[in-house]
Order: sequence, then structure tokens, then C-alpha cells
Amino acid sequence: MNSLFWTQISAIVRIEMKKTFFAKRGLWIYLLALAPVALFFTHSMVEIHEHGARRQMVQKSARQLTERDLFSIGIGMSREDVIARLGEPPVSRTRNRRMRTGRHSSIIVPTEIMSYSDGNNELVLAVQNGAVTGIQKASGISLGQDSYVFAGVFQFFFLRLAIFFGCLGIFMNLFRGEMLDKSLHFYLLTPVRREILMIGKYLAGLLAATVIFSTSTALQFIALLLQFDAAVIAQYMDQNHGLAQMAAYLGVTVLACIGYGSIFLAAGLLFRNPIVPAAAVLIWEAANPVLPALLKKFSIIYYLKSLCPFEITLDPGMPPLFALLASNPEPISRYIAIFGLLAVSILVLLAASKRVRRLEINYSAD
Amino acid sequence: MSDRIVFDNVSKFYGDVLGVNRVNLSIPPGITSLVGPNGSGKTTLMNLMTGLIRPSRGHVSILGLTPDQPEQLFHLVGYSTQYDSFPKGLTGYQCVSSYLRLYGFDRAQSEQLTWAAIDRVGLRDAAHRKAAGYSKGMRQRIRLAQSLAHNPRVLVLDEPLNGLDPLVRAETIALFRALAKGGCHVILSSHVLHEVDIISDQVILMSAGYVAAEGNIQSVRSEIEDHPMQILIRCDRPGELASRFFAEDHVVEVRLHNDRRGLLVKTKAPDRFYLLMNRIALDGFAVESVAPCDDDVNSVYEYLIGAEEPTR
Repeated sequence: MNSLFWTQISAIVRIEMKKTFFAKRGLWIYLLALAPVALFFTHSMVEIHEHGARRQMVQKSARQLTERDLFSIGIGMSREDVIARLGEPPVSRTRNRRMRTGRHSSIIVPTEIMSYSDGNNELVLAVQNGAVTGIQKASGISLGQDSYVFAGVFQFFFLRLAIFFGCLGIFMNLFRGEMLDKSLHFYLLTPVRREILMIGKYLAGLLAATVIFSTSTALQFIALLLQFDAAVIAQYMDQNHGLAQMAAYLGVTVLACIGYGSIFLAAGLLFRNPIVPAAAVLIWEAANPVLPALLKKFSIIYYLKSLCPFEITLDPGMPPLFALLASNPEPISRYIAIFGLLAVSILVLLAASKRVRRLEINYSAD
Repeated sequence: MSDRIVFDNVSKFYGDVLGVNRVNLSIPPGITSLVGPNGSGKTTLMNLMTGLIRPSRGHVSILGLTPDQPEQLFHLVGYSTQYDSFPKGLTGYQCVSSYLRLYGFDRAQSEQLTWAAIDRVGLRDAAHRKAAGYSKGMRQRIRLAQSLAHNPRVLVLDEPLNGLDPLVRAETIALFRALAKGGCHVILSSHVLHEVDIISDQVILMSAGYVAAEGNIQSVRSEIEDHPMQILIRCDRPGELASRFFAEDHVVEVRLHNDRRGLLVKTKAPDRFYLLMNRIALDGFAVESVAPCDDDVNSVYEYLIGAEEPTR
């Protein structure tokens, strides 16, 4: 490619940047990208609050308790036994509970709620008439568990919905939006090869999608880690491949933008209505695990699944749709996945370039 | 390299709808006006010239290049469409300069060409305002600046005088004339016939997708044989002169002008009529002026196309 092409591509990217980043009608894309960040941030805030409450309980406790101490308490145990094992509760309150004694009669029973904690786990006991009648145990969430939740949100929501529809909004608009605005001839009346125009627009869309969704991925990770101590985070990053996982998620995000971007750019050249291609691609991607081996390869999610650092285990109680989405019957190696996804994207862009070469616009009133 | 814009048996159909049919044209440099009512095919011809649409049949050639070669073609051609094509949020200056960057001009060249174009359309004072906030006339001018900024040899302009105030309109017409004088093709479409009459070197009359007539307006008029030519004669004795005309078999109608100081004569043979006028002058009539009064675009259009008149 000669220097003129690069000059033209950079000019197109500069012009398109404003449209892709700052379009009013693209606001929903930012909201979609930031939704999981808000989710993880809220989760972390709740966990931080609860962790603080447990720490206060430990400070108020008569003795240092262990997880074993907490889980040694059973229903029917007397209040005295509980006190003997765990000491006086650091948090205790009494509530009156109405209990039915017959069809039209009830009595009020005073119930003592006793809370204990070892700093990580929390035990809440309901004591009536001097005996334990109810037990509620809550465990603090570990980073390992949260990583698994992150993987689920990333695969089920972020990849399949947020990036998918975000790319639909960004890339389908590149040509179709300008045809609707009657402004595409700004480019078509210049000495720019149509293929160069397509590449320029694709790169501008890719830049926007990558920045928006990679930033979201990084922020999600940061929001998730907010609740943990610095030492836990350092250990996770250094010893438990936290940094590698984060890099893998960012890589998958970029590759998803490359793949879905190419598909929706081509769709924008072929379809007037974005709902038709969106529905078709969404179903195609969801049905990937049950497609014949050859057809599977013409899918973006096929490659992305094998690149995700966590594989979602299929739980027997999982709803069938989630099981279908999570299943990855034929995982492939990382290098084949990256190469395959790029190859599919290039093939789609080549097909789109044929279409853009023959593109006619006629929105005159003549 | 050819200096003509050539349409060789070009047809364009939008599905079952006719755009233009069997168009054969060879347009020389100068100002050429496409005239016709809405739907007559003016914009279709312009879009075909610039490759925005492709012919269903036939070939288009612009100075020897086809519209399938945008990389070369748009160094020679500038097209100002009816529609704004400004990227959102740009100022008038940025609209033109970003357009020029697509031509591969560097920043300094773009800046120089942008200011030159903006000055030519007289929009320097408003150059740094957002184009979206421009009035209709200003948008028309910045579109014109955009299309001529790279100094094209062919300027295609769809309704370029729409929305311009009289002063700017006169300046713009002067600009077209200067460009045409410099050897440029200025192809413009218009509904306003008296404007076309004033500025065109040649006209292409369009009707329902067909070229009804083309060429210099006077030569087009002389080819319309089924409508006698109407000539206004200013003289000292119009009544006497009228009786002379009635004796001629090619004169089909003679009317006294409203001010009673002239005659309106319709003749089927203008050549014989002018020979007769020479004889009349020798017979002692004081003839002040002899001028055809229906060889303007308006009359020609009316004769050729009839009811489908564009705006006068």
C-alpha cells in the first residue's frame, strides 16, 4: 500500500472518529459497555460494607473464633451451649415474632438474633425459648469465586450481548447511517478507492469499539478487585495468573470487536434494516455448538470461547439455553483460534469490498 | 485525453422505473445546462457522470476516463450535489480541508486550497462557523467551494443557484463564466429558465428520461420546424409593413405590437424572412430593430415539451 492510501485512510479515520465516539445516537453503546462495570462496582461496594461489619464483630467478640467454631453450632442446641462454645454474641438483638397457634389465634414469641463472625464467615442464629431454632451461614466471597462469576458475566453478557450489539451499532452505521443521512457521497466523490474507504471506516469503527469495550473490560476487572486487600490482589496477580487472565480478557475483547465489526460492516452494506442481520447472526452464534464441524468455523464465538481464560462448567441444573451457550465441545488451541478468527474477519471484509466496489447511491428526488 | 464528456447510448433503470433512456451526448467545454422538470433525469445524468450510479446500458466517459476510476476521475471532476454531505460537527473550513486531505494533499496545501476556494465563494467570514448552522445559501456556497477546491476541469453542479441571494447569485454566475472561459466544463442543472438562458453556452433539454434537444439554444430553436419563429420588428410604419408581410406565403401571422410601434411576425422560413427584411430596408422603411423573440430556453422548452414546464 502506498503512502497516498495511508494518507487517505488516516484522513477517513480522523473524520469518522467524531461520528463513532461522540454520536448522540451511540450513547446506548456506552451504557451497554458500562453496565457490567456498574454491576461489579456495586457488588464490590456491598462486599466492602459487609466485610467491615464482620470485622467489627470480630473486634467485639469475647474470643477469637474459627470457621470450625462457627459451623459446630446446630439446630436445637441450647443458648447456654452456644455461649459456652462461641462466647457472648458481639451483635445481638431481640425481635418479637408472631406465631400462629390455630386458625384464628397466634402468640408473640420473643426471638433473639445472635451474630458471630470469624472475620470472613458470618453465622446468624435465631434463639427462641432458650434453644437455637434457625441458622444462617454466609461466607465471604473469595477472589477465586468472583473470578468465576466474572467469567460468566463476560461470556454470557459482555461477549454475546454488549460487544455484539455495540459492534452492530457502531459498524452497521458506518455505511448505512450515511446513506440514511444522505451524506455518503462526501467520500464517494473523492479520488479514494472504495476499498480504501471501507478499510478506513472499518479501522475507525474498530478504534471506537476497541477503546470503549477494552476500557469496560479493564474497569470491570478493577471494580471486581476493589473489595479485596492489596495483599490478596498482589498474590492473585503474581501467583494466580491474574495479569494473564486480564490480558486474555482484553485480547478476547479486541478480537470480538475485530470479528463482529467485520460482520456488521458487511451487513451494513447489504441490509437496510439492522434487525434482520442482528437476529440472524445472534441465532447463528448461539447455535454454534450444534452446527456441523465445517460451519462452526464460520462463526466468531467459536474462536472466542476457546480464548476465554475460564471455561464455564456445565452444571446439570443449568437452564438449557445457558448450557448451549456455555458448551464448547471442540476447544481449539489459542493460536488456531486467533488465526481462525482473523481469517474469517478478512474473508468477510473481502466479500464486503466486492460489494462496496459496486455500491450505488441514489437518494435524489429527481 | 479527450476534452468531451460522452454519453454513448446510456440508459439507467431503477428496477422498473426509467431514469434516463438512450442518451447520446458529447458535451464540449463551457457552461452546459441541464433543463427539465422534476423526474426528467437531470440528476440521474449527473450521478452517472460521477459514478454514484452505473448505467444499465451504454458507456459514460469523462475526458476519456470512466466513472469506475474514481482514483483518477475525481482529480478532474468536482460535484456539488443537492444534498449536504458535511461530516457532523465540522466548520465550513474543516469541511473543505478534510475533503482535500482525502485527495492526498498535505496540511499546508490543503490550507492554501481551502482558503482559495472559500474566497472564491465569498465565505471567508463564516469559514470557522459550524456548517450545520449555515443558512441554505451558505451551505450551497460551501458545497460549491468543496467541489471546486481541487481545481477540477469538470464541475458538475446540481441546482447550484438555489437559495442564493441576488448579489451572490450574480457573483456565482460570474464565477461559472470565468471557469468556463478557462476551459472548464461547467455542467449545471436548473429549473429556472431565464437563468439558464443568461449563463449557458449550450443546453440539454430533458423530458421523462429522454434528451429532448441539445446544443446552442438558437440552433435548437431553428430546428423546431413545426413552431413558426416569432420575430419582433420595431419600425416607423408598422401598418404598412404588415401589409407587405401578408403577401408572403411563409408568413403565417402578423400582429401589431401593443405599443403600436412594432410588429410581431410568425414565419415558417426565417432565412427567407431575413432576405425580405433586406429588401424592405431598401424600400425606405425606417427599421429600428429586428429580433427573434421566441428563441430563448423558455420558448424552446415550451415548444418541445409542452405542458411539462419548469419554473420560469
